[in-house]
Amino acid sequence: MKVLIVEDEKPMALEMESFLNKLSYSCELAFSGRQAREKMPDQPYSFVLLDLGLPDMDGLQLLKEARSACPEASYIILTARGDVGDRIKGLDLGADDYLPKPFSLPELHARMQAITRRKAGLKDNSVRIEDFVIDLAKRSVHYEGEEIALSRKEFDLLGFLVLNKNRPLTRFQLSEHIRGDFAGDDYDSNYIDVHIKNIRKKLSAFGPVDWLQTLRGIGYKIKA
Amino acid sequence: MKLQTKLTLSQALSKTVIVILFILLLPWLVSSVVSGYTNRQLEEQKQKVLRNISRNGIDYYLQGDSSYGSYTMLKEEYISLERKATARDLDSIFTSQRLIEGDTLTYRVLSYTFSDHGKKYLLEIGKTLASINQYTHPLQKVALYVLISLVALTLLADLVFTRILLRPLSLIIKSKILNRKFPFTETPPAVRTGTSDFLYLDASLTGLETQVRLAFEKEREFTSNASHELMTPIGILQNKLENLMLEEGVDENIQEKIQGMMATLDRLKKIVRILLLISRIDNSQFLRSDEVELQPVLTEIGEELADQAEARNLHVSVNLDPPLHLHAVNRELIFQCLFNLWHNAIKYNRDGGSLRVAGHRNADGSYLLSFADSGNGIAASALPHIFHRFRRAGENIGEGYGLGLSIVKSIADYHGIGIDVQSVPEKGSRFSLRFPAALIMIPVNSSENNL
Repeated sequence: MKVLIVEDEKPMALEMESFLNKLSYSCELAFSGRQAREKMPDQPYSFVLLDLGLPDMDGLQLLKEARSACPEASYIILTARGDVGDRIKGLDLGADDYLPKPFSLPELHARMQAITRRKAGLKDNSVRIEDFVIDLAKRSVHYEGEEIALSRKEFDLLGFLVLNKNRPLTRFQLSEHIRGDFAGDDYDSNYIDVHIKNIRKKLSAFGPVDWLQTLRGIGYKIKA
Repeated sequence: MKLQTKLTLSQALSKTVIVILFILLLPWLVSSVVSGYTNRQLEEQKQKVLRNISRNGIDYYLQGDSSYGSYTMLKEEYISLERKATARDLDSIFTSQRLIEGDTLTYRVLSYTFSDHGKKYLLEIGKTLASINQYTHPLQKVALYVLISLVALTLLADLVFTRILLRPLSLIIKSKILNRKFPFTETPPAVRTGTSDFLYLDASLTGLETQVRLAFEKEREFTSNASHELMTPIGILQNKLENLMLEEGVDENIQEKIQGMMATLDRLKKIVRILLLISRIDNSQFLRSDEVELQPVLTEIGEELADQAEARNLHVSVNLDPPLHLHAVNRELIFQCLFNLWHNAIKYNRDGGSLRVAGHRNADGSYLLSFADSGNGIAASALPHIFHRFRRAGENIGEGYGLGLSIVKSIADYHGIGIDVQSVPEKGSRFSLRFPAALIMIPVNSSENNL
């Protein structure tokens, strides 16, 4: 899948590229609005990650242009300005999602996946981990055909770990994912441990869950 | 009192004083004018008599007699001339009674002695006071009426004129002071007036508003820039750490150190985010135009924080009686405010304790919503400081940087919501929000109006 990253902060663009490359996306970088304009018609992008605070032009204006140049692409707006109106304006202009900076890279990936799922409709989107089947679209967990009830937050966590399986996720990345996106919240990352404990308890009643690993002093990982 | 009223009153007052003064002075004035006139008339008549005597001789009047007298038919005026051998020299005007043909009347009398051919004569000319004063009353009356109608006329003219003069002032008040919404993004047109004071006032007000607006915009730009300048490097650092964590050949030892760095960065991020949020609230960057029903918001917060409440085994109850429906507020901020209070009540509670959220209407139309926990409470000495940034009652209790309550305070202030804390150490604290009637929507009784 092709991703166009429009971001004037070069170090940040490079980190995004490096992370997405590992997930086998192929990325094009544009460090200004002008470059973005030039690269847009080149190829059919699946995703355009657009920083609103570009030095040479208004990001919302660029979004408008990009939407007509690449109508197939999905758009995620990135901004560090935190302007209250930006989010609404961006979504009104047809952006698919909005991520305020700073964001975590696994979170970016999760958002991209969510958009893909949404656009593809409700077809099978399940991941099998040993004998557990986790359906990210339907938000369900099954063990040999039997559904296991998880709370909303528990599923959010499990789904996020599944999306990033075989990669360690820290408590902060996890807690950032499951807290609502209202600003200023200081969600306690210690509660992640409580949730994981509950998930383990619920799943282990059906089968072994040693694939959900605790990385001491780091966080959690699904090894599959 | 309005300026227009004050001016009219003061004008009416000063005019009344003048009228009263005039009424008091009028009899004296009229009588002094009349008596002066009478004196002059008597003097003129005297001169006429003397002229006649010097031209035609004293016998023109006396005809050989020793005295001469004449009076008008109703004795209003008389003249007498007689020889007086022993008379003192006299030349005066006085009021005195005279007996003429059996009638005693009061006269204004001019007495004058003079010599003619070595003989002394006394001339008296008199005029009755009744005839002198016959015009004073009507004169006074007419003068009074004229004065009063003139005063009334000028009062009316003053009223109309001050109203016209003050019209620009009320226009300035209406367009520049009332109906103005911070941060004064629209500039109403300048008020047109010929009065330089009003022009000055209008220009000054517009200037002040422009200054306020510019300062406000500058601050908004600053928070926006500060947000960008602070969040971007934090973001870069975070993403670099995340990629580093996934680097091949990085062992768990190093991953643990990276996680430590992430923890520090996370703390920095939260503080910056909260400070920016507070400055945005204080800078009025949030619209207050949402309608919010409180019950669903509290339900949402309850669900959001259910895991934390459960982890501490808290008994949570919510009871709004009656329900509360707000308007002219910012939904996001109200949510944030209630969320923080709820979150605090969990964080500073004891395991197995309780959290009671309760709302009721006050007699004055305001609404009181309280969050009562069963935690450690706050020492009385710390109570005044709990809403201050970077201060927290009782350090080392879980996470938090003493900023959650600062957010609550900023949001409450921004909406004009009163906030109050009561706390008993070791028993618990109660945070109360007092929503003013202006924010509360009048409930519509839809179910009771069945036709």
